Amino acid sequence: MCGRCLELTRRSLLGGGAIAAAALHTGVAEARVRPQDMVPLIGPGFRPTDTDEKGLWKEMDRVEEEVAGSNLLITDPKITNYLKTLIATVGGPAAQDFRIYLAHIPDFNAMMFPTGFAVVFSGLLLRMRNEAQLAGVIAHEAGHFLRRHMIRSWRDEKRKTDIFSIASMAAGIGGAAAGAYLGDYVQLAELGTILSLFKYSREMEAEADAMGIKNMAAAGYDPMEMSNIWQQLIGEEEASARYRGKHRHKGGIFDTHPSEGSRMVDLRADAIELTVPGKKYENYRERYLATIGPIRPLLLDDQVKLNDPGASQYVIETLAQDGWNGLLRFYEGEVWRLRNRPGDEVRAEQSYAAAVAYPDAPADAWRWHGISLLKQGRTGEAKGAFARYLQMKPDAPDAAWVRQMAAS
Amino acid sequence: MTRLTRRLVCIAAAAALSACSSLGGGDYGFSDYSLVRVRPVSVGDHSMIVTPPRPWNRHRPIFFEDIRQVEDWTQNGPLLDGISFVTGLKNGKSLIRQRRSANQQVPLFRSNMTPPEIAAMIESLYRVRGGAVDFRTLSLKPRPFLGTNGFQLDYEHLDDDELWRRGRVVGTVINGQLYMILLDAAKSHYFDATLRDFEAIVASARLKA
Repeated sequence: MCGRCLELTRRSLLGGGAIAAAALHTGVAEARVRPQDMVPLIGPGFRPTDTDEKGLWKEMDRVEEEVAGSNLLITDPKITNYLKTLIATVGGPAAQDFRIYLAHIPDFNAMMFPTGFAVVFSGLLLRMRNEAQLAGVIAHEAGHFLRRHMIRSWRDEKRKTDIFSIASMAAGIGGAAAGAYLGDYVQLAELGTILSLFKYSREMEAEADAMGIKNMAAAGYDPMEMSNIWQQLIGEEEASARYRGKHRHKGGIFDTHPSEGSRMVDLRADAIELTVPGKKYENYRERYLATIGPIRPLLLDDQVKLNDPGASQYVIETLAQDGWNGLLRFYEGEVWRLRNRPGDEVRAEQSYAAAVAYPDAPADAWRWHGISLLKQGRTGEAKGAFARYLQMKPDAPDAAWVRQMAAS
Repeated sequence: MTRLTRRLVCIAAAAALSACSSLGGGDYGFSDYSLVRVRPVSVGDHSMIVTPPRPWNRHRPIFFEDIRQVEDWTQNGPLLDGISFVTGLKNGKSLIRQRRSANQQVPLFRSNMTPPEIAAMIESLYRVRGGAVDFRTLSLKPRPFLGTNGFQLDYEHLDDDELWRRGRVVGTVINGQLYMILLDAAKSHYFDATLRDFEAIVASARLKA
């Protein structure tokens, strides 16, 4: 049907490597790591001195070159500069050394590489409700670097197994492992391979949490948002699995992270401990929305068109906790339309009708509102909706079809 | 079929036939390429007849992704170019075989779908199963097909192998069943190199009496 569908199946079949790596780290939950015990193990301008770490850095420089040149990156300077500012704010002593890239991949993920460059997936930006949440994830990733987890994990991995080597990783061999880690639709070979190599232990994840929340609170962000992130993500995975009648698969970012129940409890305890009475903590929601706003339709589009109704509905409702608007109502309608079960057509119609009542309704809401009116036989109203759509988007790619509909 | 089951089938078949390897297309499982000659040929469930202007390769995977109403052709391998035929997909069916339990699903076809809805279904196919991280509709317009008021959809998509691909679909719904011919090829060179064939094939398409 589509040429790559089969290719993706093949790669997924080869995904055993990452599963093997993940299995190495199953263990019991550790006792809570207290934020005040977390001190950065590196200072500004850190460079490795040990031979193996130097070698790792050399290879990683090549990887960063690959990542920096990928056409999967979102390069909008407003957003990338925003991310740079955030990592510089919560990055502790290495604040000025970090680089951060935004990959156009509709999944919740962010990762830190051994040399101090981070990759954030666009799906993460969709799911964060405010700047404090995004800063929390970035601070967690920065925590891995500040605590030197990469080299610790690498040495540990080398001790346990010979299945991976830096050379094979850099060559992209084993890139198929991405299928197991990133989900079937994300096959960015280099990133996937590297991810499978740098699976952190639960203890390291707990350290990164503690280091991250400490830096986040120090920067004036509400530390309670850190536990909210996990609550949202667990909720989404459960909603998605429940919808398909399954138990939640602990994949992706959850693979080696501490058990989420204890993690949320720990993060809440951390937040209470870190909160200094009288100090003002912010979540900077307005600033976040002002920056992310222009690409939010794109982010919603990427998610909803994956037709994962459980997850999409959860994400939309989570965002709507800060208030419904035309954009969210429109995408709620899209979730129903793509799900297409009995009764969904009516649900979609209602969402589109609700969406166009808001001043911020996107042009596409008018188009789909028009199509649903047309299907109900309300031709006159449909024509009005189509006219509004074409007025808002005169060069719409489907203008020819819409004009024919409006004229018929 | 679950991924694990597929794998087991593959392993079992390999043991029996020593044939579980890539057969020309680089895909695991069994697949079969056969020559399509320059003469009228029936495609999909054999309800549509087309005449290619030059020889093509029919790619018919035996396991995994095949459904009876869909047939795939290629010139240079499915990663570079492909023409697919959808012949009479029925209400409630999807363009590709999928597990009910998969979190992300290609939307099902409904007989009352309008061209924008069919276009959205195709977009989700590429996003859910084809690894597309960006998909842009270039145009959607009316176009006669198989003697009916059909549509033409032009699009391009960036896939996670970092390659831009471009596609054109000409389709129509007849008696509640979906008929389409799709061209999807690497935007650089391959789309243009196969577009003329695609147009000739579309022009030659007719339904079996």
